[in-house]
Amino acid sequence: MEIIESIETPTREIVTPGMVISTDPELIPGRGAIREKNNEIISLFVGLKEIRGKYINVVPLNGLYNPQLGDKIIGRIIAKTPVKYLLNINSKYLGILKPLDAFKRNTRNRGYGKSVGTYRVKDDDLMQKLKMGDLLICKVLSGDRLNEPELTSLGQDLGQIKDGIIIHVPPPKIPRIIGKKGSMITLLKNLLHCKVFVAQNGRILIQGGKKFKHERLLIDAIHKIEKEAHTSGLTDRIKNYIIKEKKKRGIE
Amino acid sequence: MIDVNQVVSSLERNYILKLLKEGKRIDGRDLFELREVKIKTNFSPKAEGSADVFLGDTRVMCGIKYDIGKPYSDNPDKGVCTVMSEYVPIASPMFESGPPREDSIQLARVVDRGIRHTNCLEYHELCVEPGKAVYILFVDCYMMDYFGNLTDAAAIAAIAALLSAKIPGAKWDSEKEEAVWDGTIKPLTIHEIPLSITFGRVGDVIFVDPYLPEELIMDGSIAFAVDEKKQITSIQKYGSATWTVEEIMEISQKAIEISDDLRAKLNLRQYTPKI
Amino acid sequence: MPVLVPEPHDPVCFRKDGKRLDGRDVDEPRPFSCEVGVIKNAQGSSVVRHGGNLICCAVYGPREVHPRHLAKPDRGILRVYYRMATFSVHDRKSPAPNRRDNEISKVIREAIEPVLFLEAYPDSQIEVFIQIMAADGGTRCASTTAASLALADAGIPMRSMIVGIAAGKAQDKVILDLGDKEDKVGQADVPAVVVMKDKTISLLQFDGEMSIEEMKLGFKYILKGAEVIYQKQLEALKGKYEAIQLQAQKESEEYQKMVPKLTQEKPLPPSDTVVSEKIGEIKVNNDEEVQKPTKELKKEHKKETKKGTKKPTKKDIKKETKKVTKKKTEEIAQKINGTIENDPKKENDKGAKSK
Repeated sequence: MEIIESIETPTREIVTPGMVISTDPELIPGRGAIREKNNEIISLFVGLKEIRGKYINVVPLNGLYNPQLGDKIIGRIIAKTPVKYLLNINSKYLGILKPLDAFKRNTRNRGYGKSVGTYRVKDDDLMQKLKMGDLLICKVLSGDRLNEPELTSLGQDLGQIKDGIIIHVPPPKIPRIIGKKGSMITLLKNLLHCKVFVAQNGRILIQGGKKFKHERLLIDAIHKIEKEAHTSGLTDRIKNYIIKEKKKRGIE
Repeated sequence: MIDVNQVVSSLERNYILKLLKEGKRIDGRDLFELREVKIKTNFSPKAEGSADVFLGDTRVMCGIKYDIGKPYSDNPDKGVCTVMSEYVPIASPMFESGPPREDSIQLARVVDRGIRHTNCLEYHELCVEPGKAVYILFVDCYMMDYFGNLTDAAAIAAIAALLSAKIPGAKWDSEKEEAVWDGTIKPLTIHEIPLSITFGRVGDVIFVDPYLPEELIMDGSIAFAVDEKKQITSIQKYGSATWTVEEIMEISQKAIEISDDLRAKLNLRQYTPKI
Repeated sequence: MPVLVPEPHDPVCFRKDGKRLDGRDVDEPRPFSCEVGVIKNAQGSSVVRHGGNLICCAVYGPREVHPRHLAKPDRGILRVYYRMATFSVHDRKSPAPNRRDNEISKVIREAIEPVLFLEAYPDSQIEVFIQIMAADGGTRCASTTAASLALADAGIPMRSMIVGIAAGKAQDKVILDLGDKEDKVGQADVPAVVVMKDKTISLLQFDGEMSIEEMKLGFKYILKGAEVIYQKQLEALKGKYEAIQLQAQKESEEYQKMVPKLTQEKPLPPSDTVVSEKIGEIKVNNDEEVQKPTKELKKEHKKETKKGTKKPTKKDIKKETKKVTKKKTEEIAQKINGTIENDPKKENDKGAKSK
């Protein structure tokens, strides 16, 4: 019961680095908080304070992406070595994409192409397939805080992006763009008839086809979500905003 | 808004090009529409004159300092005005700390020529004693935020800072053989206000005031400096694009029209200090 | 050749009524204002106006180290670039950094390092660029204040905010926050940076003559003045978000009023607004796309089940949904949304189980 009660009283309180957010010895500092002397728990970020059960967290309002296992992210090839592609993934490290994880070799080792196949394709042939600057949707195969993450572009939804445009928001705001159980993203898609893919590293792929006006409004709406990510009642306001703007811009 | 860094993919290039071919821009403008210009002058109390200019999100801060020095031997009765620009690494993750790069020097030269070859400053007034002492004006432009088209922003900043400047008057003391203060502080005489208009080019499409993603993918651009008499006073072609003579003539005409509108809209004379 | 109007040199620093020339008391800091998020390209940025100082600061990183050999395998490096604009001082400064710039860069770096967790960023660097657009004494203190704001704005974890402020002595009186003139004619200058959490000093320089008692008084003033500036810092950091919160609240209220109207006009819920007849092709796409986020969510649940917290999660979800239907506040939804991060959730579930 305690847990639920704490969820019901959301604190939209903004805290700053070094601020004492609790002196309760029962609470355990979770994300974005540490315990200092005298049982004081201090915040490390500018963010929103939240208490969940025994844990006290600070949800940051800005920051870089930290790769986590299984995340779907959008990377950009910025360098090549003879045996691997290096991808900018909006993190402090470059992502590594080995050709064996990037191309399907035969049907048997689909997914994780590391197992030895029936024949061997020369790596240098595979290194020619992707160009510098190409964008790929990848999944993180291995990732910790201290090493460069390995990626794969084999699997459902993954692979090279050939159409559309990428826009950028701070990664901590991504959960708000997805919304609770995907509510926000469903709203955007249904109202604006564009394809949207939200990657965990703050990049959003938008494919509107020929509907330029819809696409523009979608981009504006995403920037509105980004700006107001820390407020409550966001889904309703975005819905209202899109309906209003649709009338104003003359979109059906 | 759109995530572009130094390595641009064909995806982004194709997208922007596709929009441009339909006469649309990535930030929703028309092909020949400038971004909004905001100007704030005299932000720095230590400078003789200063201006903080926003062109959309592009931001340039410019300050004026003066010195008394020897004139050039070919122009013994004319003052000197030098424009310097610095790409400070604050402005963009692409800029690095260190000595000025080629781009930075080129930009400073383009702004400098825009001012020098227009009937802008009264160079004779900047002379204290012919052959011995003249004013040297330093116009220092700092790029504070890079969202494309630094040339136009820097040109506006430089002229706004010059207009807002107040310079102490000088007279020649023949006994001491040096210039001394005559007790007055007055604004500079500015005859004409030059403005710079930059056109970018991707494929066959020509557009004005490139935004950052457009600037990163474009083949080349041309900057025109236009004076108040509807004359082009300086042209600089950047990049590797080639232009036909017809295109250049056409956009010259466009540059004159756009700069006229902009000059009327900005009303830069309002920044002249009243004494 | 020097410029025409020399700076006035006048040793008087106090008015006849005992106040300072600009009307301040001895322990009163100069007017201070700051703003964050001004440079849109940077990850975090700030502008500080402290007396006549105008300072822009931007933070980039953590990112790759260039050149590579500077990288440390066990910890991140912090690089601070303190640069003055040519027009920021009375006599034009050369644009190239001089010895003073490099020294101040170093002392500022060492003032910031104690509050950062550099060991969490091996092989990478955090870069802090400070540009002085107008200098009026005490730039190294104001720069540190600005750097601290920009780092907080960039979302880099920090133990505490830091505030720089100087004390000094002029005409045999201890004063706080010296202006340019007091700095030049005064007898002593003590720039200091205070770590606000535990009130420790992380930058200290001292030039001049002062007795121990005067030093003590100086530090008392410094701590007092730092508190004033700290409050302004907090206002700026929170203000950036609180203004939007207020605005959003208003819009929400407006929307609540509009709701009955809207439902009359468009009774369909958003999920039904997809017109399948007109654009059949796209509808198919949409359906595919719609599934994606739900799939991802399912995956999260799977992860949780792997960890063996299956039962409590389900119960919790049931409880939650009950409560939600009772109170039907959207804020709860946001609460959960705002923290879709996996870790705390899992931890909580474990906690619940143990209970």
